[in-house]
Amino acid sequence: MTLPALISVRGLEKRFGDKTVLRDIDLDIHSGDVTCIIGPSGSGKSTLLRSLAFLDAYDAGEVHIFGKMLGWRDTPLGRARAGNRELTKACSPVGMVFQHFHLWPHMSVLNNVTLALRLVHGFSRLAADETGREMLGKVGLAAFADRRPESLSGGQKQRVAIARALAVKPKVMLFDEPTSALDPELVGEVLSVMKALAAEGMTMVIITHEMGFAAHAANRVVFMDGGRIIEEGSPQALFATPKSDRLSQFLQTWRERAL
Amino acid sequence: MSGFMTDAPLYLAGLVTTITVSGSGIAIAILFGLALALALRSRLRSLSLLVRAYVEFARGAPLALVLFLLYYGGPQFGLLLSPYVAGIVSLGLYGGGPFAEIFRAGLNAVPKGEREAAEMLGLTQGQCFLYVELPQALRLTLPPSVGQAIALLKESAVLSVITLGELTKVAGAISSITFAIVTPYLTIALLYWALVEILSRFGRILERRFAVKGF
Repeated sequence: MTLPALISVRGLEKRFGDKTVLRDIDLDIHSGDVTCIIGPSGSGKSTLLRSLAFLDAYDAGEVHIFGKMLGWRDTPLGRARAGNRELTKACSPVGMVFQHFHLWPHMSVLNNVTLALRLVHGFSRLAADETGREMLGKVGLAAFADRRPESLSGGQKQRVAIARALAVKPKVMLFDEPTSALDPELVGEVLSVMKALAAEGMTMVIITHEMGFAAHAANRVVFMDGGRIIEEGSPQALFATPKSDRLSQFLQTWRERAL
Repeated sequence: MSGFMTDAPLYLAGLVTTITVSGSGIAIAILFGLALALALRSRLRSLSLLVRAYVEFARGAPLALVLFLLYYGGPQFGLLLSPYVAGIVSLGLYGGGPFAEIFRAGLNAVPKGEREAAEMLGLTQGQCFLYVELPQALRLTLPPSVGQAIALLKESAVLSVITLGELTKVAGAISSITFAIVTPYLTIALLYWALVEILSRFGRILERRFAVKGF
């Protein structure tokens, strides 16, 4: 017996102008999955991830989160954009971590983490602060609660962003190249937070160029190129015995660079 | 017999009028400008185009023109305003244009990703505006806003032409009685300068208090 997918994508298509950047995307994310999406720049990874939260509105196909269609509503007259409230509700199980953190620079680290708890979830300041500190503790930054984001390193900022996303108890976390904007020596601290999350059973979809991380932390790897999913499977299968030439090429380039 | 000391109450009255009229006018211009900036960013195309046209008009027209339209043209439409009220409203309408442009730029400078982060956490657009975008936009636009406020304060001199007894009117009145030109105008020049100085100091204090570094 298989449980219904937490996120289910069917026939997804996305165009920017007359350029089709995603086509025929089918993807299921099950509870507890750690899925890494790999592929060259411009392959549509980021657009796919953003489509899962409707940050980019897809043009055709469907994205369902817990069985509910995201962003669109089928009406007798065709498809209509779902209202903001409906969209927010459909997206509520989804947490997002961005490449460039997007912390709010005018607030303390703690307020970054607690704002949504207070405004959206009705927490009192006291309860929000308690949860906020707990989340910061989880990413090893309990001592930084009263700091401003600007005084943190990139790795610390990204950990705060993870704590902020976790605070509202998402069921699935999307990571859009979470370590690509970091100095090499700061990548590890973010990846180890993510590994700990995976070990707790968090469902995660991660765009990454860290093949080592993908090989060890993911239970599934998706390779994209040219707006399509070319191959997917276990990391062992994909990395050891790539079926497509594109993936072999991609891995070859990566290995040469890693040397 | 007239001298600086005997005229002091006149200058004081002019100063008070200049402060209250430009203070109220600037406050209205800021609020109006913020509303216009929001309308400019609106996804309702007809609204943003309409407001764009207004902003262009307000930026292109001299204050005197806005003032004449309102004060002399208003009665034709049943709008009878005292010079005091007409002065405040003109400054507000006229200043709203440049403030709209300042705030629009400030709001646009807040990275889109910060709004996306807020959306993903379930904040409504209104909450995102109030807690994420507006506080940063106001901080960012503090220097140009202070500059615009100073410009409006100085332009309030134009209101003397509709007989509003502000500083410039006072200087004119005194000089027409005493035939002295230099003393009254230098006196009000000093007073204007003092007001401008106070405004810009206030702005610098706010800037220091609300600085967002690395932004």
